[in-house]
Amino acid sequence: MFYIHNTTCISPQITFPEVDLDQLISCTENKFYTKEIPSTDIPPAILRRMGRAVKLGVVASIPLLKLQAQLNGIIIGSANGGMEDCIKFLNQIIDYEEGVLTPTNFVQSTSNAIASQLGFISKNQGYNITHVHRGLAFENAVLDVAMLLQENPKHTYLLGGIDEIADYNFNIEYLCGYIKKNSSNLDLYNSKTSGSIAGEGAAMFVINNKHEGAVSELKALKTIHTTNEKELVNVFEKFINDNLPENKTIDLFLSGENGDIRYEQYYKTIESVMNSNVSIAHYKHLSGEFQTASAFALWVSNYIIQTQKLPLNMLKKQTVKKNINTILLYNNYQGYQHSFMLLEKA
Amino acid sequence: MGTLELKQELKEKIIQFLNLIEVKPEDIKDDQPLFGEGLGLDSIDSIELIVLLDRTYGIKIKDPKEGRKILVDINTMVDYIEKNRTK
Repeated sequence: MFYIHNTTCISPQITFPEVDLDQLISCTENKFYTKEIPSTDIPPAILRRMGRAVKLGVVASIPLLKLQAQLNGIIIGSANGGMEDCIKFLNQIIDYEEGVLTPTNFVQSTSNAIASQLGFISKNQGYNITHVHRGLAFENAVLDVAMLLQENPKHTYLLGGIDEIADYNFNIEYLCGYIKKNSSNLDLYNSKTSGSIAGEGAAMFVINNKHEGAVSELKALKTIHTTNEKELVNVFEKFINDNLPENKTIDLFLSGENGDIRYEQYYKTIESVMNSNVSIAHYKHLSGEFQTASAFALWVSNYIIQTQKLPLNMLKKQTVKKNINTILLYNNYQGYQHSFMLLEKA
Repeated sequence: MGTLELKQELKEKIIQFLNLIEVKPEDIKDDQPLFGEGLGLDSIDSIELIVLLDRTYGIKIKDPKEGRKILVDINTMVDYIEKNRTK
């Protein structure tokens, strides 16, 4: 599909600008916010209008924009975009009886505010789009950029997955049972209740078709909407048969399990049909659960391949210790939006 | 409310409405231009200021030419508010 070169990530953990995943940051409530976002590189006049999601995306992207002056497009996955601003704007419509409304909240509230702001800052007039397909928003951005590279093999793109914790959305998800009442990321996987912890973050990638200088290669992606485990297993087996050569093995399975007892079975099922020699790791205790958490998963997989460091807190099952060159990522969002990605060392 | 108090309140409201990070009321001079080289506000801010006048002082500015004369600096805004406020 494509090669991954430079990356950045803002998450609740120590990932920006330096990375230290061994020092696990814990959350004491069911909201796992990112650490304070350093924003010194953004002009104050622009910064003051930015909502949280826009700030996350822009701050994470600026180092990559500095490194990669020539980008042919910006492709973002964000299920909610600037949801907090969106709710402020909608509430104003009610509070002021559809009278005079402020433009800033409206401008910042659209999902494409992040990609468009990046386009303005970098003066990039290339392809600029945002995918918003709930738990597969990032995966659809990945698919889009892979197709773009088929059409334009010499291009380089900025790809990202970004979402924020917005109070209004959080409350709805909490009431729907997708968020636990009281939980810590430290015992997330021991939970026997429904729900997870809410997370947020931005993971950005510079990608193209050039093997030279790349860290990893995304070999394949498959998404499916289903609640049927048999159908899921069939899709998974075909995905492996189609994309993993017989002489290669998966070194690590990165599971998107999130502590929600209702969706645990999907992960157990996929683990059960995999070779028992595959080591297993998980990451939602680092990022929390959100629609584009799979972008964090891709970022951390790339990091593991690059550094050959697998933090102990991520490890669920270790088989034989060996180099980690091939990682299989599986995530499902709310039990019906599933994705598989296969990442290899470049 | 006296003119000085109104000026102080207006500066605080402008900072709040426009989210002027790192600006304090005392940083805004009464005769400092709000737009361009003064406080550095732009066209979106002008709409925010019109909303501020509507919500806080009950003043509706419908004519853009009128707005240009009012939104010059703190002095011109306060002068207009004192003469036209409905709340």
